[in-house]
Amino acid sequence: MSAARALYGEFVRTFGNVLFAVSLFVVWGFLTLVGVIVDQGQEPAAYFQNYAAPIARAILRLNFDDVYHSPWYVGIIGLILLSLAVCTFKRVIPARLPALRPVNVAKIPLHDAFETAGEAEQVRRRLTRILTARGWQVRERIFGGVEWSFGDKHNWARRGVLVAHAGFVIIAAGTTLYWARGFSGEFALPAGQTTQVRQTHALIRLDKFAYRIDPIMTKSGMVYQPIDYVSKVTVTGRDGVPKRYTVRVNHPIDVDGTLYYQASYGFGMRFLVTRRGRRDAALSSRTFLEGDTLQLPGTQRSILYERFAPTVDKQSGMPTADPRVNDPAVVLAASEGGTPLGEALVPLGAAVDLGDGWRLTPRRYVLYSGFQYRYDPGAPLVGIGAFVLLAGLVISFYFLPARLFVRVDEVSPRRSRVGAAATTVKGYDVFASEFDRLAATLRREFGAEPDIG
Amino acid sequence: MRLPPDELLIAIALGAYVLGAVALMFYFFARAEVLRKIGIPLAILGCAAQFAQLAVRFELTHVWPLLNLYGSLSLFSAMSVAIYIGFAFRYRLWFAGGFVLALAAIFLAYGVTWYEGTMPPVPSLQSYWAKIHVPIVVSSYAAFLVAFVFSCIYLLKFYLERRLHGVAPDPATSPVERWLNALPSLAQLDVIVYRAIAIGLPLISIGIITGAMWAKEAWGAYWQWDPKETAALFSWIVYLAYMHLHTRHAWRGLRTSWVSVVGFISIIFCYLGVNIWISGLHSYKV
Ligand code: HEM
Repeated sequence: MSAARALYGEFVRTFGNVLFAVSLFVVWGFLTLVGVIVDQGQEPAAYFQNYAAPIARAILRLNFDDVYHSPWYVGIIGLILLSLAVCTFKRVIPARLPALRPVNVAKIPLHDAFETAGEAEQVRRRLTRILTARGWQVRERIFGGVEWSFGDKHNWARRGVLVAHAGFVIIAAGTTLYWARGFSGEFALPAGQTTQVRQTHALIRLDKFAYRIDPIMTKSGMVYQPIDYVSKVTVTGRDGVPKRYTVRVNHPIDVDGTLYYQASYGFGMRFLVTRRGRRDAALSSRTFLEGDTLQLPGTQRSILYERFAPTVDKQSGMPTADPRVNDPAVVLAASEGGTPLGEALVPLGAAVDLGDGWRLTPRRYVLYSGFQYRYDPGAPLVGIGAFVLLAGLVISFYFLPARLFVRVDEVSPRRSRVGAAATTVKGYDVFASEFDRLAATLRREFGAEPDIG
Repeated sequence: MRLPPDELLIAIALGAYVLGAVALMFYFFARAEVLRKIGIPLAILGCAAQFAQLAVRFELTHVWPLLNLYGSLSLFSAMSVAIYIGFAFRYRLWFAGGFVLALAAIFLAYGVTWYEGTMPPVPSLQSYWAKIHVPIVVSSYAAFLVAFVFSCIYLLKFYLERRLHGVAPDPATSPVERWLNALPSLAQLDVIVYRAIAIGLPLISIGIITGAMWAKEAWGAYWQWDPKETAALFSWIVYLAYMHLHTRHAWRGLRTSWVSVVGFISIIFCYLGVNIWISGLHSYKV
């Protein structure tokens, strides 16, 4: 039993220690940085291409290819939350609202003392008035026959740290809610086609997609600047009524609580595929998106529609940087049983011979629009948490809780000695100049000599 | 050849910063009042010229001038000087102006190298959030620059004092010692660093929050673990560590100053390193 208690004590001491929290921050920072430096979410082959094999293996084994969802990352956030809870309840709350107690004024670095004319009681009352007028909340207590005045400034702000810590916990709760109940996904939809979103069962039809790209002359040459992407869609949500919407970048639509965003666009392709002059109906009526593969029936041969080249330079026959459709072509890659055979740039309307009597002609392109969608029931909580955290930071930084300890002792029937000291939650240096000003004011008000200290 | 007004203003700002930096740098070492009196107006002139330049550029092009590296670096140096001027007037810290102005001049000159002419913003940047988020984030970087400069001065003073106390036979008569004594005390320098970070940390927090709100609108999720977001989170964690260490008496001063230096390096990495070397949703180089 006592061993368990000792262990618990050790746990509280360790997790409640701010330096332990800082070590957790160091690990958190390190893991965060890993994700900045190592490209996230790539195929394993990409890491072997970019790094030496031992490093690539380490990246994959340690989950550094998806570090933010790795057990390390979730674990460190969990430890931070645990440490934060222990620290808040065991250290911060007990220490942050200290009881009113007498102190040895001369032992506190911020202190001052002077003598002044007047009875102790009278001086005390005047002191209270002066301090109250300067925003100090004054309370009086008697300890061992000595009457003390305690002044507090921004006492309420002692809770700033609790507010900040609570903000972080609320953000963590909001993110957890998304993990537990939210979802997200993406889909690409060629114009004229309809898709059903797996999780929400909403039907989305892309009526039209348009984009605008302007050529702009800069100091280092021509740049093609995207200006606008616009998808006109018809969406049938839970109520079964089709509704028309326009989706643009920065202007998502909300359908039954799920948000749909304009994310990307591309060129779908319709091919005419023939065998010995006869049209293959299935392959010829499909729209292929960039990255799709076309498998020739009865052969091991497949054709990858790699990408669309909107403008091909007539002289060089090579694709140019102009993303507007002028003289388009497609980049196709053929392979046989998984073995690459080669790549070709094929202009629209030109036929390529694929062997065994197969021929393929890129016939026309269809614009497709890429959408992302997300249902995030935790987002409002994360938003609230962020503002609470921010409020905590502002309170902690801009409202310094300071406590003044003042005692007035009678030196003789008509003379008193005032001793004052101040502490703050952030040490003495941040308050040094303000204390000096306050001490100077008190001395002036009481007509005290400047030399007694 | 006549320069367009915005380029003229940038030239004035750069010139003022360079001259001001030289004057205040000498003031840092020599403490001749005349140098301070030359440096202050130059700092103010450069800063005013920069803000005027941003306004003129907006007026001429009708494009929000902060959405490329040229514009944001320009605001970064202007805000660094503006925050520093505020500090210098409030706490009488002109001795550090040479360093701030020199850094401002370097960042501004570097920004000019990215000047490509006027470009309309890409669709994801066509948002009112851009107008809120960018200035806030850049201002937080500027506050961290000021904190960085005072941290360096803290460290310089700390290590010089430590060396002198071991070596100098009569510290009071050594010129270096006298020069060191003219600087604020280590405790005061630490408070200045703390006050600058007290501006920067809430600002970068607001910056991250407004960025998240914007991301929600533009890309669908308030947080995408994009390199820029995560680099900003990294800097935020460094300054969070600073703040927590600062609550401990034994760690206040020397160690927290080092953390502030690391924090600013992380800011530069987040600001320039990520924009230039690491591609992602946030890489708006032009
Ligand atoms: C990651 C989220 C955290 C945030 C946003 C946060 C924020 C804050 C803020 C704003 C303060 C006030 C600083 C000041 O008054 O100068 C503070 C203080 C403090 N925090 Fe945290 N904190 C976090 C995590 C933690 C953790 C995990 C611990 C665990 C030990 C911790 C322990 C403390 C302590 C001991 C103080 C000082 C309280 C005092 O001065 O009496 N914090 N924190």
